[in-house]
Amino acid sequence: MELKIPNTVMSQIDVARLIRELNNLEDFFTSVATRQSGTPMTPPRLSRTLDSLARSNKFNLLDKNQRGELNNKLDQVLKSAPLLHISFASEPSPQVMERILVWLRINIHPQTLVQVGLQPTIAAGCVLRTPNKIFDLSLRTRLKQQEPYLVTLIAGAAHGH
Amino acid sequence: MDTGGLILVIGLLLAATAAFIWLARKIGSSGSPDRQSKLPATGLENAASKDVEHIFNDEFREELRNRGRLHFEKIIGENAMFLQQDLRQTTSQLNDYMRSEITRTLQEEFKKYEQSIADAKKLALDSIDKTITTIEQQRQFLETQLQTQSEAQKARIVAAFETEMASIVNHYVLRAIGNQIDLSDQLEYILAELEANKPAILEDIKRGT
Repeated sequence: MELKIPNTVMSQIDVARLIRELNNLEDFFTSVATRQSGTPMTPPRLSRTLDSLARSNKFNLLDKNQRGELNNKLDQVLKSAPLLHISFASEPSPQVMERILVWLRINIHPQTLVQVGLQPTIAAGCVLRTPNKIFDLSLRTRLKQQEPYLVTLIAGAAHGH
Repeated sequence: MDTGGLILVIGLLLAATAAFIWLARKIGSSGSPDRQSKLPATGLENAASKDVEHIFNDEFREELRNRGRLHFEKIIGENAMFLQQDLRQTTSQLNDYMRSEITRTLQEEFKKYEQSIADAKKLALDSIDKTITTIEQQRQFLETQLQTQSEAQKARIVAAFETEMASIVNHYVLRAIGNQIDLSDQLEYILAELEANKPAILEDIKRGT
């Protein structure tokens, strides 16, 4: 079964952070097994993202096998999930990114990860880079494509049409 | 009066003058001693000679000579007067003739001069016409050339304007609204563009995977 990735996990950095968190949890349980009785132990605090991931995929993080399986699946995601680069003219808000990510995971791939970049020259819209292509969805390109129409309009105005 | 008439008058005057001179010489030579010494020395002649010498003595001869001189001077004076009159008339005629000749010559020269002026004027006018024609041709050529260059320049400017104008407008729009549009407002546009490119994105993702 394919791992359901929460919308708070957007990039490979988030996935790597989850893996690191799982490893810390694993280390904690290992140290618990080897501790002397009566030694006080402080369990690591789980992030909301890891908790959400475990809940949505029905993984019990207290179970060693399930932790391992989750770790493997996260490794698999890190290696094989499609990574898309999206550049905006300015820093996008989390709400905007979440809506775009939802659309991508519904329409493109459920495990899509994105890497956000900045290109102030595009003015508006975005530039999407897939493994082999660049989709320029910016206002700059849109205006450039419409240049002949603009020339036609101005020529018409100049000739009084 | 023509030239023949003038020559005839002058010839008559010269002939009259020559006749008077010949007559005067003739009269002068009849009383000379050489002539008397050549007469035959006869008795009659000697008597006559004596009478003659008696009648035509020196006083008488002197008287005759004086009277002859006076007569000659009178004739000379009269002829001189006639000559003077003829000369005046001739001078007057000559003046008239010269005036008419000079007038005619001047008129002919003036006619030639006028003709020359007319020819020069005609040449000048022809030259001016040719110059005007040449200038007109040059003007038309320059006008055509100028118009051609003007059209070419206009076309170049229009082409440059069409090429650069859209870029300038785009640049202006991007600069004007670049940082003014919130990403939340662009979201629908972005999602619509993603939707439009969905097949291509999917295809590339599958290929990349």
